Amino acid sequence: MQDVPVDVVVPFYLYAALCYLISCVMLIFSTGSFQGHHFQPNLLAITHAMALGWGTMMILGASYQLIPVLVESQLQSPWLARVSFVLAALGIPFLVYGFYTFHLGWVSQAGAIAVNLAIIFYVINLAWSVAKSKTENIHAIFMLTASCWLLVTTLLGLILLLNFTIDLLPQDSLFYLSTHAHSGIVGWFLLLVLGVGSRLIPMFLISKYTNDRLLWLVYILVNLGLLLFMVTELNPRFPDLHIWAVILISGGIGLFFYFIVKAYQQRIRRKVDEQIKLSLASVGMFMIPLMVLLVLLSGAGTADRPEWVLAYGFCIFFGWLTAIILGMTFKTLPFIIWSKVYQHPSGRNRHPDPKDLFDHKIYQYSMWLYISGFFGFLLGVLLKVEFLLLPTAALLILSAVLYVWNVGKVLLHKAKKL
Amino acid sequence: MKINPATKIANLLKHDIRALDAIISISPRFEKLRNPLLRKLLAGRTTIAMASKIGGCTVDDFMEQLKPLGFETEERLQEEGHTHAVLPHWLLNKSKQEIEELDVRPVLDAGQDPLKQILNALNKLPQYHVLKVINTFEPTPLISMVEKKGFASYVEAEAEDLIATYFYKKSDIQEASSKNSHREGEDWEEILARYKDHLVQIDVRALPMPQPMMTILEALEHLAADEALFVEHKKTPVYLLPELRERGFDYRIKEIEDQHVQLLIFKWNESN
Repeated sequence: MQDVPVDVVVPFYLYAALCYLISCVMLIFSTGSFQGHHFQPNLLAITHAMALGWGTMMILGASYQLIPVLVESQLQSPWLARVSFVLAALGIPFLVYGFYTFHLGWVSQAGAIAVNLAIIFYVINLAWSVAKSKTENIHAIFMLTASCWLLVTTLLGLILLLNFTIDLLPQDSLFYLSTHAHSGIVGWFLLLVLGVGSRLIPMFLISKYTNDRLLWLVYILVNLGLLLFMVTELNPRFPDLHIWAVILISGGIGLFFYFIVKAYQQRIRRKVDEQIKLSLASVGMFMIPLMVLLVLLSGAGTADRPEWVLAYGFCIFFGWLTAIILGMTFKTLPFIIWSKVYQHPSGRNRHPDPKDLFDHKIYQYSMWLYISGFFGFLLGVLLKVEFLLLPTAALLILSAVLYVWNVGKVLLHKAKKL
Repeated sequence: MKINPATKIANLLKHDIRALDAIISISPRFEKLRNPLLRKLLAGRTTIAMASKIGGCTVDDFMEQLKPLGFETEERLQEEGHTHAVLPHWLLNKSKQEIEELDVRPVLDAGQDPLKQILNALNKLPQYHVLKVINTFEPTPLISMVEKKGFASYVEAEAEDLIATYFYKKSDIQEASSKNSHREGEDWEEILARYKDHLVQIDVRALPMPQPMMTILEALEHLAADEALFVEHKKTPVYLLPELRERGFDYRIKEIEDQHVQLLIFKWNESN
């Protein structure tokens, strides 16, 4: 199996890291918007910078890299992967800028079209690689399904965008917003994290535990829950089954949690490093938005509690998703770079360890800044305390700066002998 | 005349020929100075400090004998002897074949200068070989002269009048020690040689992920301290590497060809 060329993967990481920093900067300029409804230009911009620029770009890059591990086949077209980067990298700023300035005309439309093309190329590449794989593999099924949900999300997003200017759909775009968002959050991010996590976490823990039947059950529960959610959302006359959708998805997450606990108990690795700890914690962090969601569902409706809707979105993108990526970046990127820098070992020298390519101290600082920033901001949103938002957003920016610095340190690593 | 330990014997004699008898009275070994040929050859290369070594006396003995002749003692200069108390590392582990012997006693007895012969032998000395010069006294002038030519020396008194002087090229020391300091980045071949009868071999190339890593870690659990693990692998197992260092192992990786690398994993200790 050939390694994926480094120049396919690294641009995604760098781009995502910068998008995270930019998102945090946009956040500090948008604290005022956290007092009202969630449908506001700058919040749409931040959400898309986070979901596409940060989360999706990082996952695309990582999944190109991990295809040989996850799918047990080769990445079929590095060229198509490069094209997908260029399209997404160009499309996302247009889309985000369009939202921020609320120019929903050609600027954001062009951006959305480019993003969709990028995703189509990604799905083709992934499906092609899975088809070439000789072994059936539950993780590949998770990934492929998730990427299809991603395509559903971005296509629906494009239609919603066009629906602002042309009458395409029977209802206004706001009506479909929740479907669009959850297709992305649950279908793409959650399913992918479950599929990839169930492979990588045991691998990093060096655990022999496998349980494909359990993972299939997780897969069915999450997909079924999402479908039920969408059906209920899109048919107002349908009985309200939201709570059942949430129960199904929660059940899936619960089983996944059980899977991880089992893997943890049967691990060979004695010492669990910081990055794995954070990733394990972030699995638990999904419980926060779930609880927020339950509060929302138990109430009269979202209109009465705009702060809970905002908190829900914030928990997902700045909480759960970000925590996973912050940890996993340094669990993947240093190894990718190390393999490139020391690709033809001669047996002559001692080299630095892959895990020592980034600064562990800076990483720690970044984490503490992030954790205090995240919880502080969340508190500010929920309690409607505006003066909390500014300093905590600043903490998030500082954390992002340190994160980007560390990513840069890894990327610039030069061959060294010990 | 002001004298100090660095003053040449020839200068003393030039200044006052009575110094000859004074010097010979210090030690019978200086009798050789009576021979005009040897005196001419040796006195010009020998300082008081050197001569005191040869004569088995001290610099002060010289000064005392020379004072009545009107020589004034200058402040003592720091002059360290050439005798090494400790056997130098370049002489350790040298086999008999690596030491060339040159006995210059017959030449000296014949009243001739063995310098040319010694220099000749040094020039022809093979790499990593040592020249052992056998003499009746410590050839201090020779030592300082040869040291300037890039040789290290070591003097050993084997008997009262049997002195062995060893010479070794300094460039050889450097090369050998640079080879030694390489131990930290020791070569694949060197490590392989070190563990040649203590190699545990495994081939994980055919195993599906993540079994290669598991197999290696399990093998390491059973590895004895004096054993090394030799692994045939499809690719460099980057995620294994931090595990190895955490468990106190060091490793070398060698790429054989595409899809084939070899790993050598062994206990890491600081003295390496």
